Amino acid sequence: MQNLVACQTCGLVQEVDEIPDGSVIKCARCHFQIFHRRVESRVRTLVFSLAALILYFPANLYPIVTAEYQGEYSQTTIFQGIRSLFSFHQYFIGSLMFFTSMLTPGLKIIGLIFITLTLDWPRWKKGRTWVFKIIRVIDPWNMLEVFLLAICVSMVEMGQVATVHPGRGVFSFAAVVVLTLLATLSFDTRLLWDSPAGKKL
Amino acid sequence: MNEKSPALPKAQVGKSYLNWFLWLIPVGAAAVCLWFVGQDIIFTGPTITIYFENANGLEEQKSLVQYRGVKIGEVKTLKLTKDRQRVAAKVHLDASAANLARQGSVFWIVQPELNLGSVSGLRTIVSGDFINVQPGNGARTNLFIGAEKEPIQPIPGLDILLLVPQLGSLQPQSPVFYRELQVGEMLDYHLSDDAREVVIHARIEEQYAPLVRMNSKFWNAGGINIHVGLFSGANISAQSAETLISGGIAFVTPPDFQSAATNGTVFILNEKSEPEWETWSPAIPLHSVPEVVTNTTPASNLNKLR
Repeated sequence: MQNLVACQTCGLVQEVDEIPDGSVIKCARCHFQIFHRRVESRVRTLVFSLAALILYFPANLYPIVTAEYQGEYSQTTIFQGIRSLFSFHQYFIGSLMFFTSMLTPGLKIIGLIFITLTLDWPRWKKGRTWVFKIIRVIDPWNMLEVFLLAICVSMVEMGQVATVHPGRGVFSFAAVVVLTLLATLSFDTRLLWDSPAGKKL
Repeated sequence: MNEKSPALPKAQVGKSYLNWFLWLIPVGAAAVCLWFVGQDIIFTGPTITIYFENANGLEEQKSLVQYRGVKIGEVKTLKLTKDRQRVAAKVHLDASAANLARQGSVFWIVQPELNLGSVSGLRTIVSGDFINVQPGNGARTNLFIGAEKEPIQPIPGLDILLLVPQLGSLQPQSPVFYRELQVGEMLDYHLSDDAREVVIHARIEEQYAPLVRMNSKFWNAGGINIHVGLFSGANISAQSAETLISGGIAFVTPPDFQSAATNGTVFILNEKSEPEWETWSPAIPLHSVPEVVTNTTPASNLNKLR
């Protein structure tokens, strides 16, 4: 029996020979790589989420903006911002900000790392599915991008009246946003039930 | 070969490229973190604690420590000491200012001050109060007692004491005039030991110190002199607009002047000048104080500054 595959890019059905180690197969028509699961899904997801996890700390510990207004000088980290929202009794917005920009991104990153690291152990399959379910639930609340946009807008707007410098936090924060995005893109859900033995392509 | 199915195209086999460089991403992220931490270590100086009598105007996480107008640190926390007598201000100094954390350094809070005749610290009304420092050069320490106000700068000069029955409108920083030119200022005052007079401590700038002789005459130049004469009409005079409100001291030296006054010489501060004094005009050689070179530091010295 021949191995038949369909190219994900142009849809051409084609035969595949035995694939030697260390090589990939390309579509006969469009020369694009043919894959069974997303390309290097596991490594890429792991790499991106690891980097995101590392930068998650400076993003939250360092000030996002440093504002200077007539000699008055203030630095704010994300958490300080949330705390000041709480102190102004803005509990709803404060907790929304906490969930969307601190808790869910962190959980998501850790969840993705957990899934990619435990893929070799079939015993953890149930745990992986469970973690993935949680990620699915919290993902809509993961609104880092919106928050980043808000920061950038306020920086431009406040620049009219005050001197606003982006802090170190905002660079790390932007990097976390991009890296989580890449990790999500490269993650293939089907990895969840793949067993290590039946790995193909 | 099956007749019904035409030959299917064969997929090509290509080389898979190495993907080890993907691991550069987390490594790079870690490097960025390390860089941040390293910078923190390099650019953060010591944390010092300054005990103030009161911390009026200071704010946690906000108030700055400045030296020569440059930010050198910031106030992190303000806490009452256990005995409730003082406020402990924890201050993070920048690394460039680590040298200021020495015994003998004096920290004080700069606040707007409105005195008659002088205004200072106006900037702090908008910028918030800040802590200023006058560096000392003792051993390294992280504990300081904050000063009430700016310490008096040790400007070289001649310190003299003036005795006056009543203080009048005189106050610290009132000027001392010679020929209506300011040659010094009043520093402070206190009651004499027997409480019969006020002792005024004044300082004459070094270059004008030779003007003060043992037989110089001092008088209170503040306020307005109104002289009403039968033929000359009313004659109103004042030393300067500043002395109208803040008071001032003037002095003359007689032509037969004696030796120069030394530090701590005591003079009597007369209520007003006598007409005879105004005719005195002795020639007194002044000290030629070498000009302090401030803006032309030689290039060789610049290297030391780094």
